[in-house]
Amino acid sequence: MSPNQVVHSPLDQTPRARRTLRIIGIAAVVSTAFTVWLGLWVTPPDQVQGNLVRLVYIHPGVAWVALYLAFGLAAVSSLLYLWPRTRSLFWDRLAAAAVEVGVVFNACTLISGSIWGKPTWGVWWAWDARLTSTAVLLVLFLGYLALRRVPAEPDVRAKRSAFVALFASVDVPIVHFSVLWWKTLHQGATVLNPNLSPTIHGSMAWTLLLGFVALTLVFVWMLLVRYRIGALEDWLGRGELNVALLERQAEGGHLPVVASELVGAESVVEATPECEPEPVPEGVTR
Amino acid sequence: MRYVIAGYSIVLAILFFYGVQLAWRRRRLVKAAQRVQAFEATVDDGRVGP
Repeated sequence: MSPNQVVHSPLDQTPRARRTLRIIGIAAVVSTAFTVWLGLWVTPPDQVQGNLVRLVYIHPGVAWVALYLAFGLAAVSSLLYLWPRTRSLFWDRLAAAAVEVGVVFNACTLISGSIWGKPTWGVWWAWDARLTSTAVLLVLFLGYLALRRVPAEPDVRAKRSAFVALFASVDVPIVHFSVLWWKTLHQGATVLNPNLSPTIHGSMAWTLLLGFVALTLVFVWMLLVRYRIGALEDWLGRGELNVALLERQAEGGHLPVVASELVGAESVVEATPECEPEPVPEGVTR
Repeated sequence: MRYVIAGYSIVLAILFFYGVQLAWRRRRLVKAAQRVQAFEATVDDGRVGP
């Protein structure tokens, strides 16, 4: 086992870490509820869009999380994994967590955009540059997640996943600049435009900003929980070897129910006591 | 307004159910890890094995 494969028990979580996670979770729920309240009941309808403007309080927020936070973090983490000086499975696990959460937010971006597009443009979908490049991004990162499920040594899996994440991340700037590079149906950036002068004001601007904060908090909470899941899976993967050895030592010693409780650590199933222990020749001690 | 309600409902439902699923997955894995730790501790104590 290489040094970067050493995994401390993820059960050793400090009370401070648990408390921080809980605070982030509560803050995420409260700020999201506040955004919904402001977005649906407090802010006025737009002069041009009418009530449809209310979808704008969540759509750019989920897009911000998916494109810039999640996939940006995945790209940086993958780069840090590939860089020999910073190579650690920590970065691989962080990239995997960011991509999984990012894919969910990317799907939300496409769905909320499509629901806004139907009454505005008259169609659920258009092969517009922004929409198409965002859909391509979703497919690319779904491919990343599929690749991670291909059985391999942790280092091999981390390396090839990092390359795929970097390749897929090339699409992020394409999505961002698509509204400038091509003539698109999709409107230009409201906040992150080239002049960096937001074209939204008053209560609408504050609600949009709160939406960004709320969804960022949701992302951070999900990322931390998903990272811990990855750490637990890795630790149980290490446990798989130990359990197999211990079982051999214990000559039929049972590890009840563990295999059925493992999610994502499929190989542990092979270490269940259903395997018959090999007969030991007389005079040989284990 | 029905498009707005549909948009909010779908996005929030996806995020909510994904969050619940994450919490559930973490809980199951923590339980499994605790069992493995307990089993290893039992073997280390010499209560199981040769």
